[in-house]
Amino acid sequence: MGLASLFCVELQKVRRSKILLIQIAATVILWLPAILNADLNFTMQAEGISPEHNFFIQGFLGMTWLLYPSVMVVVTVLLNQTERSGNGILKMLSLPVSTVRLCLVKFFVLAAFSIVQFLLAAGMYFLCVGIVSGMQGYDFSLSAWFVMKEVFVMWLTSIPMLAVFWLLAVCIRTPVFSVGIGLASVVPSILLINTRAWLIYPMAYPLFAVRSEYGKLAVNLTIRQFQILPWLPVAASITVFCLLLSCICFGRDVRKGKE
Amino acid sequence: MTGSRHGKNGLYLEGKKLKRTGFYPAFLAGGLLSAAFPVINLAVRPESFLSLEGSPFHILMQANWQLMAMINVLLVLTGACIMYHTEHSGNAILKMSSLPFREGSLFLGKALVMASVCAVVLLIEAASVLFCTIHWFGEEGMLPEVLIGFGFSFLMLLPALLCSLLIASVCKNMWVSLGIGVVCIFLATMLPKDDFVLSLFPFAMPFQEISGEIHKLLQQVPETVWKLSAAAGAESALFIVLEFVFLKVRRWF
Repeated sequence: MGLASLFCVELQKVRRSKILLIQIAATVILWLPAILNADLNFTMQAEGISPEHNFFIQGFLGMTWLLYPSVMVVVTVLLNQTERSGNGILKMLSLPVSTVRLCLVKFFVLAAFSIVQFLLAAGMYFLCVGIVSGMQGYDFSLSAWFVMKEVFVMWLTSIPMLAVFWLLAVCIRTPVFSVGIGLASVVPSILLINTRAWLIYPMAYPLFAVRSEYGKLAVNLTIRQFQILPWLPVAASITVFCLLLSCICFGRDVRKGKE
Repeated sequence: MTGSRHGKNGLYLEGKKLKRTGFYPAFLAGGLLSAAFPVINLAVRPESFLSLEGSPFHILMQANWQLMAMINVLLVLTGACIMYHTEHSGNAILKMSSLPFREGSLFLGKALVMASVCAVVLLIEAASVLFCTIHWFGEEGMLPEVLIGFGFSFLMLLPALLCSLLIASVCKNMWVSLGIGVVCIFLATMLPKDDFVLSLFPFAMPFQEISGEIHKLLQQVPETVWKLSAAAGAESALFIVLEFVFLKVRRWF
């Protein structure tokens, strides 16, 4: 089977998972306080950021710090558990499909859910801009091109993190550890973005990217800037390493008859 | 099993079920991780804390408690999901309910196991904070203050604990209960800290802390501490009642 048709099969499997409801609820909770506290955007003179930029950045800071990584951990659980219950994975492995492809396609589904999460957030952002502009009598709108470009950068920087989560979900058989390590690894990123160590910590990448954009927009703040060069090779090698390892590990315990 | 032995056996059984799920090592690791925050913070940049005025315990809690509490809540949520995941997978919970065993005691047993594990986690964190006050601040007599502070934290953790167990018992699929919990925790971080009514949200409570001077605390406990403690007790009772209602109602469908 080609990658495309495998991808469709995987999407079919999670059709009834209600994960979209969770993602939508998360997005609403993300933006609701932003609407209620919209007047705070006018008090940012010290940082030197315009209200419309502040509104955009604060919302996405909240998302990339905790909400987005933890929802992605939940999605890895979903992708794994649908397969494990009823020994679905055993049946998949007995099909004439390469396990490497199967593993990669599942990772692509994870990436697809992350795109959905960002699109939901962006859509909700545009909606909120409309509401807030009406409420405050001030035009909060930014160019759609700028917003979508930023959102795309955030998504791109989060791919290594997704690969790490996927590695955790595939290689660690006991769910308490894969979930626990995934969720717990999100928390230190808020400390690590202030140090040099962020470079080797994929969970901090999206947050660092948003914060560096914040530093660019707020003229009075000096925040470490995102530089492509040491980052790209590091991020790419982390991603490739995690994906390789997860492809090797995928279904290994089942093949060895441990489950 | 006779009625009188339900409680004790339930606790023992629930503890034993978790033996091979990695539950205990995970909580231990989580406790050590969150206990590491104040130590690392002080080791890396001692000058930014040692120059502050006030009680060392207060300074440490101000700087670290939000992240430590976050680890605690995430641990509780993951633990609750795992506890009920072992029941739901393979329909074990149906077999449990066909045994001469009250279903409510299953929930209470799990809650007790989790509460005791959380107490251990909080003790590890308290020990780390105490170590910091002695090693960096050179204060020897902080023990009572730390114990009271973390006792309060334990109380504040209970509503989140029972609520996530309730969610996990209702939802058959682990990702649903985990997803709801994650969204709730995120909501808790977005709520304004100064609004009393909103701070009563079960997942927001663990982020509360008391850390004042001990003689002042003992003489006159702040009113909010009383109110929060009472609310934590009431919410915990409410979640237990809700679970029992759920167990009754479920049979009708």
